[in-house]
Amino acid sequence: MIAQLRKLVLGETWTLPIGVAVTLLAGLALSSAGPDWWQPAGGFLLLAGALATLMAALRRR
Amino acid sequence: MLTLAGAALAVALELLEALAIVLAVAAERGRRDALIGAAGAVALLALAGFLVGPVVLARIPLEPLQVVIGVALLLFGLEWLRKGVLRLAGRRTPSSALAEYLEERAALHALAPPPPGRPDWAARVVAGKGVLLEGLEVVLIVAALGAGDEGLAPALAGAAVAVVAVIAIGVVVHRPLARLPESHLKYAVGVVLSAFGVFFLGEGLGVEWPGGDLALLYVAAAFVAVSQLEVTTLARGAPA
Repeated sequence: MIAQLRKLVLGETWTLPIGVAVTLLAGLALSSAGPDWWQPAGGFLLLAGALATLMAALRRR
Repeated sequence: MLTLAGAALAVALELLEALAIVLAVAAERGRRDALIGAAGAVALLALAGFLVGPVVLARIPLEPLQVVIGVALLLFGLEWLRKGVLRLAGRRTPSSALAEYLEERAALHALAPPPPGRPDWAARVVAGKGVLLEGLEVVLIVAALGAGDEGLAPALAGAAVAVVAVIAIGVVVHRPLARLPESHLKYAVGVVLSAFGVFFLGEGLGVEWPGGDLALLYVAAAFVAVSQLEVTTLARGAPA
């Protein structure tokens, strides 16, 4: 049951939670540093992080 | 509208899997024990829904809440999308509630039935566990989608549409399960959940999306483009 719950929340591979964590930490660091470009363009950086995470998870099966 | 459609699709697919398990238990061990197990799980899910929604989410300030919801939706969405890409590329068995139904029946058939007049706890636990695990995902997805600016209404409406649709399928029993393009539907849900995940995460981190809510469309389009490219690449090396 616990293993199934872990799989339900984190998925079948560690690549996804690690990739999402890295994207989140980069986003948190940049938003608190507050560069001028963050507000208009930061979303695209987050999108790139999520897409890179997906591609990495598909390669590490 | 995207929230309603996303919630309806995600909830319907999860409920179909739960329905497959409950139907298998009902067919193999009796309707009564299957329904008792499922009802127990529904009661626990109602408690979980209350704890996740009004108790936990309502107390977190908006921006940290958007970050939490964004991360949760990304974790769910990217996992659905990863599996969807692998299925569409022929690298993973297609998703099938009918196959799950048949597997569950075979597994239950191997279990010894209880003595006559005794409650069938094995059947109740199997039905309850199936509903609980699939339902927990439903609770989390609906709560996450409902945390947006439009509130819970579109997500709950989508969930209600899904419940009615799945009950209708359950009444007609398992024949329609074989005809649903489940792999494609799950891939679509993966795209929608991932797009909402990135969108909420950005909002929570102070991003101003060009085009406002329309950003959901181009974020979803980016996920479709990249994942379709991956499907094409992975399909080239897939076993025939």
